[in-house]
Amino acid sequence: MVVARLGTRIYLAIDAASVAAAEVSHGVKTARLRTLAREPLPAGALLPGPTGPNLADPQAVQAALGRVLDRVGRGRVTLVLPDGLARLLLVEAPAGVEPREFVRFRLGASLPWPADETSVDTLAAGAGRVIGAAIGRASVAEYEQAARAAGAQVEQVFLAPLVALSGLLRPGAGEAVHAVLGDVAVCLAFLRDGALAGLRSRRRDRSDGEAGRLADEMQRLSAAAGNGHAGVTLAFSGSDAARLRADLGVPSPASGGPPDGDEAGWLGGLLR
Amino acid sequence: MSRQPDFRSEPRGARRTAWQGAWLGAGALALAFAAYQALGARAEARAAETRLAGVTREVAALASRQAALAARAKAGSEPLAAQEAPPARIVADVATVLPADARLDRLAIDYERGGALELLVVARDAAAWDLLLERLERSPRIRDVEPGPEARAAEVRSVVRARWSPAP
Repeated sequence: MVVARLGTRIYLAIDAASVAAAEVSHGVKTARLRTLAREPLPAGALLPGPTGPNLADPQAVQAALGRVLDRVGRGRVTLVLPDGLARLLLVEAPAGVEPREFVRFRLGASLPWPADETSVDTLAAGAGRVIGAAIGRASVAEYEQAARAAGAQVEQVFLAPLVALSGLLRPGAGEAVHAVLGDVAVCLAFLRDGALAGLRSRRRDRSDGEAGRLADEMQRLSAAAGNGHAGVTLAFSGSDAARLRADLGVPSPASGGPPDGDEAGWLGGLLR
Repeated sequence: MSRQPDFRSEPRGARRTAWQGAWLGAGALALAFAAYQALGARAEARAAETRLAGVTREVAALASRQAALAARAKAGSEPLAAQEAPPARIVADVATVLPADARLDRLAIDYERGGALELLVVARDAAAWDLLLERLERSPRIRDVEPGPEARAAEVRSVVRARWSPAP
């Protein structure tokens, strides 16, 4: 279903290294970036993770949020949570089973927080599959509290990797393995025929050789998802994507698209 | 962008989609249009009620006039017996009201039409003519006085129609 929430909306994204606010105008079939504000966070101020407190320095995070909101305006915002908080799963629910309940069933036993404190939702992934996401309510509440303290009214809460993937999942998209990079986690998605054929999500290891390790894993993902040939395209977006592309000799995205910064993953999903 | 999973921790009300919003807007417009139409119809109904009241009053007035005319026609169509209205008595009544400056040239009495009178009168001037009409109308036994066409250049010569009734 195409979302047609028309008008200008403010997206407030938080990740380990920075916070960003984007003012996006949504048309019937178009979206246009009007303003993008970004503020770095002190190292260690925010530690995105599935359990435990994420905001190690709430004052620093709130101050950075307040500064970006000063530039786009306060009011109702959509909060975009960083990669690394949620458990993601690509599944095909059996006929007659509600996908969300099937995801809850599949992920329930492996979650590091109580099942009754879990929010589960799904994103259509094409070919009858869905991406299921499970996240602890306590983690969400921590980010919502920080945004409210900065003067925002939180209307919706999205997950950055899902927003990025929704932009990639479009009819006619070329076959490729995408690395959607957050500051602390990465989501690898193999797209074929406009549908998601394979999905992996894990924490990043930014030590030397990260680009090569990621490329190997992306190749394995495409092979495991049934890709018969080795010449699959690798694409990187998000935090540090430019460095990883340079290390691998992967060409940069064509100019004229969404900004190729740390927020390119989720912002690209909004603007595609 | 596809529908995004929303992980907001607080309970929320059902959010409207654009289509739902559009339907809601269309419904509100239809409601406003219906209210406008209803107001217009109400004003029209009030105007029709006013017109109906006017027509009802007019019908009542016409009915009463018709009744009066019917009674008058009935009274006029009944013959008058010569015994109860001898010509001498009628002539005497007419002579009583005749002013000095007016003369009666001819008097016709129609007993079949209930004592209808036709008076050919010549008055010396308009004042005498007006006095004659006034006296005829005040006479207790002469009714339904209808003066005919008159010429007031010098003397007034005209025909007056009336009815003589035995009971005052």
